[in-house]
This record gives sequence, C-alpha cells and structure tokens, in this order.
Amino acid sequence: MEKKAAKIRKKDLTFLQKIYIPEIMKGLALTFRNMIRPKFTFEYPEEKFIPSGSYRGRPVLVEEKNGEERCVACGLCSRVCPALAIDVQAAETEREKERYPEKFEIDMLRCIFCGFCEEVCPEEAIVMSKDYELAFSSREEAIYGKDKLLVPVDQLQDRIDFLRQYK
Amino acid sequence: MGIGEIIIISAVKILVIVGLLLLMVSYLTYFERKISAWAQNRIGPNRVGWKGLLQPFADVFKLLLKEDIVPERANKMIHTIAPIIALFVAFSTFAVIPFGPDVHLFGYDIQLVVADVNIGILFVLALTSLGVYSLTLAGWSSGSKYSLLGGIRSSAQMISYEISMGFSVGGVLLLAESLRPIAIVDSQAGWMWNAVVQPIGFITFTVAAFAETSRLPFDLPEAEPELVGGFHTEYSSMKFAGFFLAEYANMIIASALIVTLYLGGWQIPYIELLELPSWLLVILQIGAFIFKLFALLFFFIWVRWSIPRFRYDQLMNLGWKVMFPLSLINIIWVALLIMIFGL
Amino acid sequence: MPTIIIDEQEVEFQPGETIIQAARHHGIEIPHFCWHPELSVPGNCRICLVEVDKMPKLVIACSTIASEGMVVHTKSEKTIDAQNAVMEFILINHPLDCPICDEAGECKLQDYAYNYSVGESRFIEEKNRKQKHVELGPRVMFDGERCISCSRCIRFCDEIAKKPELTFVQRGDRVTITTYPGQPMVNPYSMNTIDICPVGALTNIDFRFKARVWDMSSTKSICTGCSRGCNIDIWVRNNEILRLTPRYNEQVNSYWMCDDGRLNTFKYVNADDRVDSPQIRGEGQLRKVEWEEAFDETVSRIKSFSKDEIAFVGSAHATCEDNYIFAKFARSVIGCGNIDFVQHIDPEFGDDILRVNDVAPNAMGAKLTGVSPSKSGLDIDGIKKAIREGKVKALYILEDDIITEDPQFENIITKLDLLVVHSTNHNKTTALADIIFPASAYAEKNGTFVNINKIVQRIRPAITTVDTDRALDGMEMSRLDKFGTEFDRWATGVKVDAKASWKILVSLSGLFDHKMKFNMAEEVFADMAKNIDAFKGLNYDDVGDSGVKLNYQFIEQKVKA
Repeated sequence: MEKKAAKIRKKDLTFLQKIYIPEIMKGLALTFRNMIRPKFTFEYPEEKFIPSGSYRGRPVLVEEKNGEERCVACGLCSRVCPALAIDVQAAETEREKERYPEKFEIDMLRCIFCGFCEEVCPEEAIVMSKDYELAFSSREEAIYGKDKLLVPVDQLQDRIDFLRQYK
Repeated sequence: MGIGEIIIISAVKILVIVGLLLLMVSYLTYFERKISAWAQNRIGPNRVGWKGLLQPFADVFKLLLKEDIVPERANKMIHTIAPIIALFVAFSTFAVIPFGPDVHLFGYDIQLVVADVNIGILFVLALTSLGVYSLTLAGWSSGSKYSLLGGIRSSAQMISYEISMGFSVGGVLLLAESLRPIAIVDSQAGWMWNAVVQPIGFITFTVAAFAETSRLPFDLPEAEPELVGGFHTEYSSMKFAGFFLAEYANMIIASALIVTLYLGGWQIPYIELLELPSWLLVILQIGAFIFKLFALLFFFIWVRWSIPRFRYDQLMNLGWKVMFPLSLINIIWVALLIMIFGL
Repeated sequence: MPTIIIDEQEVEFQPGETIIQAARHHGIEIPHFCWHPELSVPGNCRICLVEVDKMPKLVIACSTIASEGMVVHTKSEKTIDAQNAVMEFILINHPLDCPICDEAGECKLQDYAYNYSVGESRFIEEKNRKQKHVELGPRVMFDGERCISCSRCIRFCDEIAKKPELTFVQRGDRVTITTYPGQPMVNPYSMNTIDICPVGALTNIDFRFKARVWDMSSTKSICTGCSRGCNIDIWVRNNEILRLTPRYNEQVNSYWMCDDGRLNTFKYVNADDRVDSPQIRGEGQLRKVEWEEAFDETVSRIKSFSKDEIAFVGSAHATCEDNYIFAKFARSVIGCGNIDFVQHIDPEFGDDILRVNDVAPNAMGAKLTGVSPSKSGLDIDGIKKAIREGKVKALYILEDDIITEDPQFENIITKLDLLVVHSTNHNKTTALADIIFPASAYAEKNGTFVNINKIVQRIRPAITTVDTDRALDGMEMSRLDKFGTEFDRWATGVKVDAKASWKILVSLSGLFDHKMKFNMAEEVFADMAKNIDAFKGLNYDDVGDSGVKLNYQFIEQKVKA
C-alpha cells in the first residue's frame, strides 16, 4: 500500500505576524475604532422599532369597516400552519358569505410567525401585523381569541399593500 | 512622631486606601461592562441611575440577596476560606504601593503609602504568589471536576508566569538598587522610566501581569466554554462576589505595580522646571499616578474584549519558551546598560 | 373472455360492460361526474371522453359498450384536450367558494380540477347567480350555483330510493334542481344524495360547517341502527363523532345507508347523559365510585343470592364478544341458566331497500354466542314471570334499556333486590339500577356484530375513553390527534370513564375466583372461534373490513335449537 505522506499544515505567517505584537495592535485598533463609533441601539421601551410592511409580527384577522370579519372559516390557515397554532370553528350566518368563524384561536406559544396562514388565505382575512410585543404569564393568556385577533383594516393597510405588490 | 500617631496615621491611610479600592473595584466592573459594550457597538448598562452609574450597587445587592449554595461534596471550610484568601491577598498587596510623593499635612510629614517597607517589591511578589492558593483551593474544595481542572490550570499558569515576572522585576531592581517601591519610583525621575529604558522587561512584565490576574487572553482557569466557570463554578452569592472583587482588585494592583515599576510612579517628567507651588505639585503628581493607573486599567479591559483566549499548550509555550528567555535577555540588557553607561 | 386494450394494457371484460366499467375493474380510473356504478347512465357530464381507435370522434367511456379488440386511450393528447375543455366548461359557472363549501377536501370537482384541468379560465363574464341555501328537505341543503347538473341525485331518488322527488327545471345555463312544489325531499335515504353529489351542491344540514374533512379521522365501523349492519365510516374530531357516512360493501349495503342510521345512531355517544364511571345506589341516590369498589360491591351482593335467584339479560346492542363473555359469566362463573335477551322489533321501520324491522344490530350475534336459556333455565318471559313471583331476586342486564323496550318490566323490576346494569347512557333502566357499570359505546371498542344475513362484521374504536389511547391502541388518527398535546384546546375532547362490557365481566370473574385471561377483544373472538361452531376458524383478519358470511348450516341448527 502506498504510504501517505503526513500532511503538514503550512503556516504562511510572515515574521511580523509571528512575533504577534503587531497583530495584537491591529486587533486593539479595530476594537478601539468600534468603541468610538456612533451607536445605533434602540432603547426599547422608550424608543420603539416601527417595522415596515414586510415585517411579520403576530398574525391578526382583518376587521372590515362595518365591524365584521373577512374570515369565512375555511380552515386553510389552520391546515397549512406547520405548528398547528390555529384552531377554527366555523358556523352558519345570514350574511352573503354563509360561513363565519364562531371561534378563531391562535395559540401564540405555538405560532412561529412563518406567515403561511397569510399566504394561503383566499380572503385576505388573516395578515401578519407589526405587533411584536407578545408576553404572557400563563398558557391560557397565550391563546388569542377573536377579541384579540380582530384588527380594523385601516391599521393593516401597510401590510395589505405589501402583499398585493409582492405576494 | 510617637507610636500612637503612627498607628493613627496608618489606620487612616488603610481606611482611605481600602475604601477607595472597593469603590474603584465596583466601578471597574461598571467600566468593564461599558467598554465591552462600546467595543461591541452597544450602549451598555444604562438603567440604574444616570447612565447606569448605580449599576455596581445593584449588582452588589443582587449578589447579597442570592442564595449561598455550597455543593454537597464540597470541603465546606476550605470552600469558604478560598474567596477570603483571594480578597486578603488582593487588598494587602496594596499596602506597599506608593501613590504620591511625601506630603506635609497637619504638621506631619506623611508618605503616600501605607507601609514603606524595605522589601516592598519582594512583599508584593510573595503575596501575589499566595493568591494562587485561593484559586487552587477553591477548585479543589468544590468537589466538581470543572472546578478542579480550573484550579489545576491556575496553579500551573501562575507558577509559569511567576518566573518571567520575577526576572523582569530583576532588571528594575538592578537599576534602582533597592527593593523599596518609593526608591524605585525615585530612580525613574525625568524620562528615565523603566518602560523606556528596558522595553523588553516592560512587555514581559505586562504580559505576566495579565497571566497572574487571569485576565483574557490568559483566563484559562475560568475558561467558560470548556470549564463552565472553572474554579468558581460552584460558587454563588457573596463568595462568588469575593472572587469577583479579588479579580478586579488584582487588576488594580497589577496596574499600580506596572505604574510604579515601569511608568515612573507618580512622577511627571520635568514638572519641577515649572516651579509650581508644592501643594499643586502634590495634587498633580497624585493625579498623574491615578491617570496612569486608569490608562492601564483601560488597557486591561480593552485587551480583554479584543483578543481571544490562548489554548493551554500555547499558554505554556509562551510562558516557558518566549517569556522566560526574554526576561533573561532583559536582565542582560540592563546589566549591559549599567556596565556601559554606569547608570 | 374478450379483451380490450386500454392505455396499451390488455384488459378482460364481461360482455355488455362499458369501457369505464372494464377499466375500473382493472384499477384504471377514467374521470366521471355523472356516472355512478349503481345508477343508470345519462352520459351528460362528458368528462369521461376517451379516444378509441377507428372511431371518428371521442366517445364517452360510461356508455360505450366495450367490444373485442377495442383500443382505448385515456391519456392521449386528444383525450386530455377534451378533459381540459370539459373542465373549463363545467367551471364556467361554478363559483369559487371552496373556502366556504363543506365539500372541499372530498370534492370530485376539486380533485379533477387539479388532475385534469389547466387551471386557467378564459371566461371573463359574470358568473350565473342561482338560488343558494335551499332546503330540499329537512336533512339536505341545496346550493344551485355549485350544481354541475350531473343528475346523480335525481337518478338516486328515482332508482335506489324509489321516490322520484327531485327534478331538473329550466334549461341551458339556468338549469337547476328542485323538488315538486310543496313536497320536500323526505325519503328515508335522502342523505345519500349528499355523498354521491360530486360537488358541494348538496350538503348535510346536520353536519354543515362543523368541521373540515381533513381535520377528522375516519374509522371503519358498522351502523347500529338496525340489523342490516350497513358499513360506515365514523368521522371524529377532538374525540367527538361529527358524522357517519356509508362505506361500500357489495354484500350488505352497497354504497348506501338510511338517514335514520346516519343521524340517530351516534349522538348518544357524545351526549351529556353518558354514564361516566361506575355508580352505586346508596340511600336512594346514585353516587360515583371507583371501579374497585363497584366490583367488590357487585361480587359481595351477587354472592348473597343462590344461583336460581339470579337472572341475566344479554343484549342485541352489545357485541358478540360482550355477549359471549356475558353468557360465559352467567353459566361458568355464577352457574346460572336464566339467560336471554330482549328482541327489538319495530314493525314500522323496515322496507325493501336496506332497513329491516329488527332495529338492534346484533340479535343474531347474541343468539349465536349463547345468550339463550339453558335447558332448565328461564327465557325472557320466564324471567319476567319469576321476578313477579319473587323467585328471581337479582337481575344482571347487559347494555339494554329493557324498560323502554318492554314497559312491563317497569312495574316488576322494583320487586328485585339487586339490579346490576351495564349501560352507555342513563335511561329508564339505569334509573332503577343498584349498580351501574359504564359500558363503552360501539364507537369506543373493538368487536363484532352479526347482521340479519348472518354476516359477521367488525366495529373499531373511533373515539377514546379514559381506558384507551388513540396511538397505543392503533386507532385512526387525524393530524390533530397526532400532534396534539394536553395543552391544545383542540385536542382535549371529553373522555368517558367507560370500559367494554366484556372487560368489566372479565374483571368481575377474577373476583369470583374464576380467572378469564382476555386482554383484547381479538382474544375473546379467538376463544369464540374455538368454542362456537358458527365462528369456527375465524379471526379478526378474516373478518376484515367487509365481513364474512358465517357457516350457514350451523346457524340454522343453532337458531332452531
């Protein structure tokens, strides 16, 4: 069997690099430059980040101007949801679209903000909002029902415009 | 001066020094966090007090309120003693560091050093070597493999770098012809700073000081990624705070030592030419000492947030194959200087 | 046998078969809307157009009789073009309301639009508006816009239900379906039109909008409405039965089931009056107790009677397994021959299509498994008489509400010293019982029923009880069942604390120092197959999905005896 020559890793370091001190100086210079650079931190509770229309915050249901939801409870969002966060119960109504969600719940502990629900929705009824402030102190609180999910359409115009342009 | 007065003056000096030291240590943690934040393009602590200035106190209260957990398999007594040793060594070393020239106050000539000991430098070396016991004992007594590994590493590291540190100091002593810190400071009048005269010794001493204080890039005893927290893995509450304080106190001592040995102590070169009134001179000189000290502390922190940790074999290589020969070369260099220029 | 060539595959056929039938028998699917294997052939949807060599035009596979040497192409360019064209045509006026429509997920039009259509429409005009939300009958809702006029429902009513209640009205694109004025669709098989409707034009009023089909699990089972034993699927979501649909079985029910079976045989399983955990009567009131306590109480109280003072009433509602263990318990454990069951006959119920007058699913099974009096034992009338005379003081009833069935019992049952009842729900009989054991309903256990034609068929658990586990017991699981946790509100359906009757009886036998070693219904059936001639050599795998006809000779002898 052919004997394999032991591979020696060739270090292509110059003399200056080998004595190490100039390299340390370079490193120090880099961190020093960063120390005096202006900071762009948002000081969160006082200063809030306002996302653009492309941002995927918590999913919400669109509430039409007449106070009715657009959702017809078709269950496609629930079906496509990879985390099984959405639970819909349909019921019959007198409106022209015969069906409406009697119960629409998103378990925000399960939600992964992927936006599939919004993408699959045939009615443009569920969209991702700009709301990223989600905190709960119990599992029950993390289940958002229709009361928390319905958001007037005016507040979601940014996202809807974005979707119409790019979806 | 009677013995009583000496005791009173010493007690006052001790109180002032310890008080200042504690305050400095706590604010050093604040600056460490601030500087690290700046280096990483962040803002750093800014919630407690104006610009976060009360953060150190919040930290202390937090540590005080934490539960003190002692592992079941720990040697309880030694586990408790270890952080005390660390603190004791850190604070007592400061006794021999001069931070200003003699002053005339309330009719007394007062030296701005707690104890003007003949063998000051030896005292410092002896005490800092004792410091290794705290880490080793802490590591051993915790009854945890991570702690033990951290303890062993620290003893090996300390011994290795103690040598180059000692030899580096040798050069300084040759020039000063004294072990008294005040004499050493005096010997660096004008621009005769040891950092200028013997740069190799300055570098080796500084590097050894980093190693002795276990600061990055030489913080192998705690090496978080491999050893969790190293020797202090099993420490919590105020015992942990003890190590924490000792680390920063050691940093201050190391900086003060470097200032004393290599950067001319409190001296400002050629300031006597300005013929300032003596009170102003004293204040300026104390200011100079503090400025140099802070510059070095900043350097310590700066290095920590710039340079990654050495591997253990690299640490040993550097200690024995580079630092040790370099410190020997430095002695020869100083000896040559003395021979040639008769300094 | 003559052969034709379909897609380069040589296929044998019976003379007289159409191309679509010949293809279907060999697993080749030709798309079809209006054609149904059990209905006449109208040939109006045109989606089954296929290319046949030497024919000038494409032909519809559903009404072209296959003949020797025919060469049929179902995937040729011409055929696919024709399918696209037909789909485009059908979709012109079909509304795009799949999100609202209940059929979505099991819709032929949806599937075909996916498989046989290009997905584009050139139609830019307004779609036709027709009547939506029309109740054709009390159980069926009609949506005119969705209808593709295949006429399956009309033909079903004419040919299968023998009640011509539906018809087309109007012409062209205004054609729609309606009942005769003032005569709603009320025939007892009307809901089958919902199943055969290829789109969502006909929907189930009872099930409307309750759940999406893809969120439910479906379990093969048997209808308990009468002793026809129609094959069904049980559709379950969140441990709740939402609907039943018929399942094809040529020798029993073909594709159909009656509306009564579909609507009235599952609601009691989800009802609030289920018996949940064993109960003992103390000081006139029933109170819930632990199983162990109920077992001990039953054993000690039964032991206080001599074996002639006890009588056993089996059940035509319980499975063969339950009845078999019940009979075994009475004879071998107690040593009592007073055992019989109550027939449930409703002379109004039967017809000449599927429904039969015996409205319990397993009277034949109860007879076969030994629920009939021993030589010296009392039959059901004898038991009645003996109770009246005070000779029988304890009665053990298996899953039957005998008081509702036979009101005579109501007066005499109070004379008893002990009444033990297995029951799924609270009823008139449990109201008088001293000890009640909660029995699993048919949708909660494994077992077999023997129908009126002596066909043994299996039921399977579709919903879980406290005692069973969907995954561990190999039950059908929906997507929601698979991934649900105890914290998901859609996976926390009610679980009743009930057990299969045979399990309860096996536990009781153990306390009478008469151990029976059965852990699964399958083992009970295996024991039956060993000891009962009619079931000889059978096991659950043989019974399978479509059942097995029992050995007829043995049955004749048994029933006569």
